[in-house]
Amino acid sequence: MSPLVHPITLLFASIFTSNILLANFLGMCSFISISKDQKSSFGLGLAVTLVMTITMVVSWAVLKLVIEPLGLDYLSFIIFIIVIAAIVQILEMVIDRVSPALYMALGIFLPLITVNCAILGAILFMQIRNYNFWQTLSFGFGSGAGWWLAIMLLSSIRKKIDAAPVPAGLKGPGITIITIGFMAMAFIGFSGMLSVQ
Amino acid sequence: MKRDGMLYTVLFTFIICIVFVFFLALANELTKDRVASNNRLTERSAILSALGIAYTSPDQVDSLYDAQVSTLNTDQGPVYKATVEGQARYAAKVAGPGLWGTIRAILAVDERVERIEGFQIVSHNETPGLGGRIDEPWFKAQFRGEKIGPQGIAVLQGSGKGDPDPENSQLDAVTGASRTSQAVQDMVNKEISLFKSLRDKGGLQ
Amino acid sequence: MSAAKKRGPVSEILVQNLWWNNPIFIQVLGICSTLAVTNNLTNTAIMTIGVSLTTAFSSMSLSAMNKLIPNKVRMIVQVLVISFFVIIIDIVLRAYLPDISRSLGPYVGLIITNCIIMGRAEGFARSNPPLLSFWDGLTSGFGYMAVLMLIAVVRELLGFGSLFGIPLLSALLGAAFTPWTIMIMAPSAFFLVALVMWGAKTLQENMKIASKTAVQTKQGGAK
Repeated sequence: MSPLVHPITLLFASIFTSNILLANFLGMCSFISISKDQKSSFGLGLAVTLVMTITMVVSWAVLKLVIEPLGLDYLSFIIFIIVIAAIVQILEMVIDRVSPALYMALGIFLPLITVNCAILGAILFMQIRNYNFWQTLSFGFGSGAGWWLAIMLLSSIRKKIDAAPVPAGLKGPGITIITIGFMAMAFIGFSGMLSVQ
Repeated sequence: MKRDGMLYTVLFTFIICIVFVFFLALANELTKDRVASNNRLTERSAILSALGIAYTSPDQVDSLYDAQVSTLNTDQGPVYKATVEGQARYAAKVAGPGLWGTIRAILAVDERVERIEGFQIVSHNETPGLGGRIDEPWFKAQFRGEKIGPQGIAVLQGSGKGDPDPENSQLDAVTGASRTSQAVQDMVNKEISLFKSLRDKGGLQ
Repeated sequence: MSAAKKRGPVSEILVQNLWWNNPIFIQVLGICSTLAVTNNLTNTAIMTIGVSLTTAFSSMSLSAMNKLIPNKVRMIVQVLVISFFVIIIDIVLRAYLPDISRSLGPYVGLIITNCIIMGRAEGFARSNPPLLSFWDGLTSGFGYMAVLMLIAVVRELLGFGSLFGIPLLSALLGAAFTPWTIMIMAPSAFFLVALVMWGAKTLQENMKIASKTAVQTKQGGAK
C-alpha cells in the first residue's frame, strides 16, 4: 500500500525538508564540481529536474507493468539504469532537434546525468516506499527542483567565498563541503514548516 | 565482423545482457529459500515477542514456535494462538500505510480482547531517529497489558517516554513524529475491531 | 641522486590509492554514500567492503573484456558490469545478512552510481591488465574505506555513544551521556569530510615540502 502523504505535501517535502541532496546526500559529485559556475549550475539544475521527472514516471510505469507482475525484483537496478540511459539518450536527440539553443545550454550535461546517483536513488526510494502515480510525479519533480535550488544557492555562495582568504588545505572542495554542511543545517530548520512527520 | 560495426555492437550488448541476466537469475534462485526462511524467522520472532514468549537466541525461535503457537485460519486471515501463563492469547499480522512506506507489525491480544498483550514491529521505512523510533523498546513496551477501550487505544502526544498507566487506553506518541504515531494508532485500532468481531462470532477458540 | 625510494607497481598503486590520490579527499569521488551511511560503523564497514569488491571485480572484468567492447557502448557496458556485481552483493546481503540489508536500504543499489567505480574503470582498467586492475580497484576501495570508517567512528561514538552497536561512551557515562544529535544527522558528515580533507591535504603539503628540502639539503651538501 502507498504511504499516507499527500502529493502536494510530498512536493514541498522533497524540495525543503527532505531535500534529495542536503538530507539524502544524493547527487553530490556533480554538485560539488559544477557549482563553481553559476551559468552551468542553472543548466545542470534544469537538466536534472527534467530528467528526474520523466525518468521517475517512466520507471514507475515499468515497475508496475513489468517488474512487479513478472517478479523481476532482483533485476530492478539493471532495468532502472537502462531506463535512465535510454531516456537521457532520447531526450538528447529530441532537444537537439527541437531547440538547438536549449541543446547548447544543457546538452553537455545530459550524459553526466546518467550516472548521477540522485536519479537512480530517487527511483529506488520510490520503489521502496511504494508510491502511487501522483506521489511519484510530485516526488520526481520535487526532488529535481530541490536539487536545482540547492545548486543555485551553492553557486551563489561560492562566488562570494572565492574572494575570501581560505586556508590552503580547505580551498576548493574542502570549503565547499563545509558550506554544504551549513546549508543542510539551514534546511533542517524548514522541518517546522510542514507537518510532514 | 568489425568491432565498431553496428552488427557487432548490437550482438555484443545482447549477449552480455543474456549472460548477466542468466547468472543473476541463477543467484536469485539459489538464495530464494534462504531469503524466505530469513523472512519467516523475522516474522516468527515478532509473533513470539508479541505473545510474550521469551527466547534467548534465534535458534530457539523455530522450536518454541512449533511447540507453542498454533495457527487458526479465520475469514480475516491467519490468527496465531498460544497459551501463556494459563491464558489464551491471539496474535495477527497488521500492516498500514506509514509516512514513508508500509509499516508491518504483529499485534497480540488476550482471549476476551480486553487487553493488548504485545506489539512488535516487523518492518518499516520511517525516518530514522523520528518515526523510526516506533521500533524502540520504550514505545513497544507501552502496549503490553494496555486496556482496550471502546474505541481501541489512543496514541497521543505526551512525555514521549512511554505512558506508564495501563488502564487509560492511552499511549505516548513519538515526539516529533505525529504522523507515524497516528499511522500506528490507526492500524492497531483497525486490527482490534477485527479481533472483536472475530471474538463475537466465536472465531477465537 | 634521488632521495625517494623505488617502489614496485603493486605497492605504488597501494600508496597512491590509500594516500596521495585518495578517492575521497583528493579525487573527491564517491561522496554520496560517504555521508549517507557513516552514522553507523557496522553499515559503513559492510558498505565499504561492498564498494571495494565491486570496484575490484568490475575493473578486472572490464580490463579482461577490453578488446571485445565496441566503443559506442563502452559506458553502458561499464554500467552493466558494475550493476551485475552490485546485484550479486545485494542478493548475498539479503540472504545472509538480512538486518544489514534492510538498514542499508537503497544505498546498496547506489553503489552502482558510486563515481569511484566508474572512475577506476575509465581511468585504470581501460589501459591496464586484469590482475593489476583488480588490485587498483581493491586499494581504491581501501582508501575509501579508511576515510569512511574514520568518520563513522566519530559519528557513531558521539551520536549514539557506541561503536559497532556496542555501547561504549553511553555505558561508561551512563545517564551523563548526552548524544550529540547533529552527529546522527546529515550536516556532521559534511563537516567531518571537510576536516579530514583539510588535515590530509595540509599533511601532504608538509610532506612534499619536507622531502623537497631534504633533496635540496642533500644536493647542497654534495656540492
